[in-house]
Amino acid sequence: MSTTSTSTASADATPTGAETLFERLADVWVELEERLDEVPILRRLADGTVTIDDYRRLLFNLRQQVVDGSPWISRAASSFDIDHFELRAAAIRHAEEEHRDYLMLERDYVAIGGSLDELRSGRKNIGSEALSGYMFHYADQANPVGLLGAMFIIEGLGAKRAAGWAARFQEVLGLADSQVHFMRYHQDADAQHTGNLEAILTSGMIDDAAAGEIVRCAQVVARLYALQLEELDR
Amino acid sequence: MVATANAYLTGFGRYLPGAPVDNDGIAARLGGDDAVTERIRRRILDANGIRQRHYALDEHGEATELNEELAVKALRAAFADRGIDASDIRMLACATTMGDVLVPGFASMVHGRLGGGPMQLLSAAGVCASSLAALDAAVSKIRLGDHPRAAVVGSELASRSLRQRRYDGIRAGMDSHFLRWMLSDGAGAVVVEFQPHPAKPSLRVDWVRHVSLAHEHDVCMRAGMTGAEPAVGGTWQDVGIAEADAAGMFLLRQDVSMLDDLADAGIEQFEELVDIGLVDVRHLDHVVCHYSTNMFRDVAFEALRRRIPTLDTDRWFSNLETRGNTGAASIFIALEEAWHAGRFAPGETVLLAVPESGRFSFAFAHLTVVAPPDQQGATT
Repeated sequence: MSTTSTSTASADATPTGAETLFERLADVWVELEERLDEVPILRRLADGTVTIDDYRRLLFNLRQQVVDGSPWISRAASSFDIDHFELRAAAIRHAEEEHRDYLMLERDYVAIGGSLDELRSGRKNIGSEALSGYMFHYADQANPVGLLGAMFIIEGLGAKRAAGWAARFQEVLGLADSQVHFMRYHQDADAQHTGNLEAILTSGMIDDAAAGEIVRCAQVVARLYALQLEELDR
Repeated sequence: MVATANAYLTGFGRYLPGAPVDNDGIAARLGGDDAVTERIRRRILDANGIRQRHYALDEHGEATELNEELAVKALRAAFADRGIDASDIRMLACATTMGDVLVPGFASMVHGRLGGGPMQLLSAAGVCASSLAALDAAVSKIRLGDHPRAAVVGSELASRSLRQRRYDGIRAGMDSHFLRWMLSDGAGAVVVEFQPHPAKPSLRVDWVRHVSLAHEHDVCMRAGMTGAEPAVGGTWQDVGIAEADAAGMFLLRQDVSMLDDLADAGIEQFEELVDIGLVDVRHLDHVVCHYSTNMFRDVAFEALRRRIPTLDTDRWFSNLETRGNTGAASIFIALEEAWHAGRFAPGETVLLAVPESGRFSFAFAHLTVVAPPDQQGATT
């Protein structure tokens, strides 16, 4: 991927064509990866010093935001007018596919000894509050095309990073496959979703203004997702 | 490639009812103080080497507890050792030769008394080796990642059926006396988890192996049937209860003439473990062996020493002489005592061995002592 300017990717720029949009999203992605490398729990994971309690906390914190995933996508679906029929259809499909995902996460949490009652009575951390609030706010806007940028980040994390995290947690902590369902599943499921996303981004329905919104939304979501991982339990 | 978790033993408990009973205190509880029975008892006690044991019977021979109570007390001791309670357990595997009641299963009764939350149950029937069958089931579910934490308990309350009232008017040969003066009561329990104990050493379960040779051996230990051959009409369920009682079907019997074959078969099973590489004799540090009587101690010890020349009595553990033969409970009662006595050091390996005479079953488990995570390298 070309990464000409990681720090100047801007929604104000006026590039043309899907290829340029992909380049700009790639810049956002690279910046996110650099930030993730500094997140304490992911650093411990890479170092091999992560503990079972870290994994439990990560699932606990993710769950509080994951339960909102399908609702914000559904809300976005209802905000697309008839001129955006394809995006509405895609959002409806996606919401349906995601809305049971948190159950998988909950099973993993119980399988490593966590209490379902405690998990379900948990609250979002500071980063999750910001992320979830932003997503619902954005989904309320008319024709929230920019959310494709959010999908690019969130599905990209699932497709490109979650399985690696799962494998490393398994390696360090000696976990069975059935204790890392959620992260393993997203490798395949989200790879399919990112494929669908690329089809939309290259379909010609994204004009320059929409591309600018997509990149901006991706930047915000990337930052807030990392914040969610930085602010575990806070 | 399917990845599985590890299984660690992280808590150990036992319960032995009442005060220890020495050889002179047996008759007060089990009866049989006529001259002939007295002579047989002395002879058997000399042979089995048991000096003291525990009975859930008072000094007049009346029962003081249920088998399920022994199991629950051993479980609570194991939970206390691990610093958890029953609500932390998601599976309970129970081994016993005979529960208190015919129906429902023993594990259901133990769970009912224990409390805690919803959990998977297993009642492993059989005799001594049902202990490791129960352990195997719990370890397998932990390794699959289906449960984070399980408990295994072996318990026996044989003494009730060894009292004189069972023997009155029945022709009881050597096949019933042998067990009558050998078996006693108790329970032992372990906690199994997918992670080691956070602050203390644990025993990682490397493997459990359970082999039956019933296809080539007759029944050796029995109750509820007229002879060693199973036959329609010949079980306690076919005839009236009074008739079954009069026929001595409710006595626990063992064909002692088969015990040499049992010892040979057990040694062959051990040899196979070495031959197929499950046991590396250069790295086997401890053996905890269940045997019914000291007669077999020397046979087993010498057989192992043929393959493990460095095996000495310091690395061989049994508490038969002081805790008695408690059947399915014995291996856990022995492991608990060895563990809490500090016999095992991190990095060392332990072989559990449980031969079962019932119809020739042999169970083994291989364990490795692991230090707490904060004292290990980061990526172990």
